Amino acid sequence: MTLTQEKTLAARVRADFPILHQAIHGKPLVYLDNAASSQKPLAVLDALRHYYQNDNANVHRGVHTLSSRATDGYEGARDKVAAFVNAAHREEIIYTRNATEAINLVAYAWGMSTLQRGDEIILSVMEHHANLIPWQFVAQKTGAVLRFVELTGTQDFDLDHYRSLVSDKTKLVSVVHASNMLGCINPVEDIVAIAHQYGAKVLIDACQSVPHSVVDVQALDCDWLVASGHKMCAPTGIGFLYGKKELLRSMPPFMGGGEMIADVFFDQATYADIPHRFEAGTPAIGEAIALGAAVDYLMAIGMDKIHAYEQELTAYLFQQLNAISEVKIYGPQPDAGVTNRVGLAAFTTGAVHPHDLSTILDQAGIAIRAGHHCTQPLHRHLGAQSTARASVYFYNTREEIDTFITALKEAIEFFGGIFG
Amino acid sequence: MSLDNMRDLYQQVILERYKKPRNKGKTDPADRYQKGHNPSCGDTIELTLKINGDRIEDVKFEGEGCAIAISSADLMAEALRGRTLTEAAEMVQRFQSMMKGEAEFPQEFRKLNAMRGVAQFPVRIKCANLSWHTLKAAIENSTPQPVGFVTNE
Repeated sequence: MTLTQEKTLAARVRADFPILHQAIHGKPLVYLDNAASSQKPLAVLDALRHYYQNDNANVHRGVHTLSSRATDGYEGARDKVAAFVNAAHREEIIYTRNATEAINLVAYAWGMSTLQRGDEIILSVMEHHANLIPWQFVAQKTGAVLRFVELTGTQDFDLDHYRSLVSDKTKLVSVVHASNMLGCINPVEDIVAIAHQYGAKVLIDACQSVPHSVVDVQALDCDWLVASGHKMCAPTGIGFLYGKKELLRSMPPFMGGGEMIADVFFDQATYADIPHRFEAGTPAIGEAIALGAAVDYLMAIGMDKIHAYEQELTAYLFQQLNAISEVKIYGPQPDAGVTNRVGLAAFTTGAVHPHDLSTILDQAGIAIRAGHHCTQPLHRHLGAQSTARASVYFYNTREEIDTFITALKEAIEFFGGIFG
Repeated sequence: MSLDNMRDLYQQVILERYKKPRNKGKTDPADRYQKGHNPSCGDTIELTLKINGDRIEDVKFEGEGCAIAISSADLMAEALRGRTLTEAAEMVQRFQSMMKGEAEFPQEFRKLNAMRGVAQFPVRIKCANLSWHTLKAAIENSTPQPVGFVTNE
């Protein structure tokens, strides 16, 4: 394995992330909680500040210069996001607060108005609560039925089981692209193609894939795709929904208010065309502009480079974790080129409970996640109450993984001594 | 690594009780039965009390959780035995004050003071409090059936 590319990329970008250069409990911060939220580069922080310092005004309504600048920035960022996921049309990108809101938008606007008793919604057992609860709401309200794709023996998405579930009753398939707990990358092209044979729509939760690799909505042919900005170097409070143009046009509004209207009377209203139909109220303008800056930043590095670098880092992370006998990692082992999973490892260590481990690692400056990672049913399914999770991004280094592994071994020894 | 800091939090008694809790199970009879959980981390506890008059004769717990949650439940169960419900309610208050760094237990309950270090770790206080919070509900709900789950989040 070559170190050259890895060192070059991490060395090149780390100076862009001021937050990484601090001590936690007297130790250099090692941030390995990227699957929960990424850190933000200066380019994004600067864009946010520049907007509020120079251009701040409400969008779309004003005639004055600041409003015009704010609108240009806000709509310009939409073009950037559209290009980032290769949407065919800019109006196919709807800004939301995050992926959760984007899924809820589809669930309420499309699901509640379209689905009927007996219709089937296919999810997988690995879905994040955000891609489960909204569909529970829809099922409770409409009488639609939820079906769940199981895992294979290697804890991958079971495509055969999926095939056996899809039928003429299937109206929606909503699945995660890359699992935030198992780390597996799901065969979404196949999932979409099979669903479409039966006329079912497909929503892809791309929160763990869009920040780390090239995601092309036209190549996937998905009907909707959702992602959160804060996991891809952008601020919190901004995310997006991609939807095919005609499908979005066919959907009734989600929330009512300003911005989403065409003509309003006391007793009724007509609605704006997409994308504004789904963007009621003053949006997160500065955050949207900063999302555009994040896209610029990621694209300047190159998503292919980011992906390749993270593949190397992931291989190293697994090599090191696999060497510790007490560690049990969930999800598939990485294949030779690490093409089958993203850069996270959810694991247990036997003696050390994930929360105790997280506290101990925090004392060593290392940030990992502990808990059920908003996948409680999956944890129950796997017989794990909670897991610890380390997740990397392109600014992490091999040395940081070494620091993490050393501290992990010490924690296991600390608890193991008592248990031995 | 600064494992020495960790020894203040993870005192020997905490690790021992986590490894081998002495008060796991269900009381017979279970005059009080209460479930508690911390939804954000998934820790759960089922607490049962055997009561004679207003006196707690036995306390047991079932549950899954971290070293802090399990050892806290185990030490609590031991300390409660033979106490009245009123005394137990006062101990809940005292424990919660201890988690704010404002109090500790007198000599006869000194084992509970092993949990004192948790006060320095704000995000873990809910782990230590889980069993006490569940006890509070068990004291207030005088039926042998749990009224749903209680949570201290």
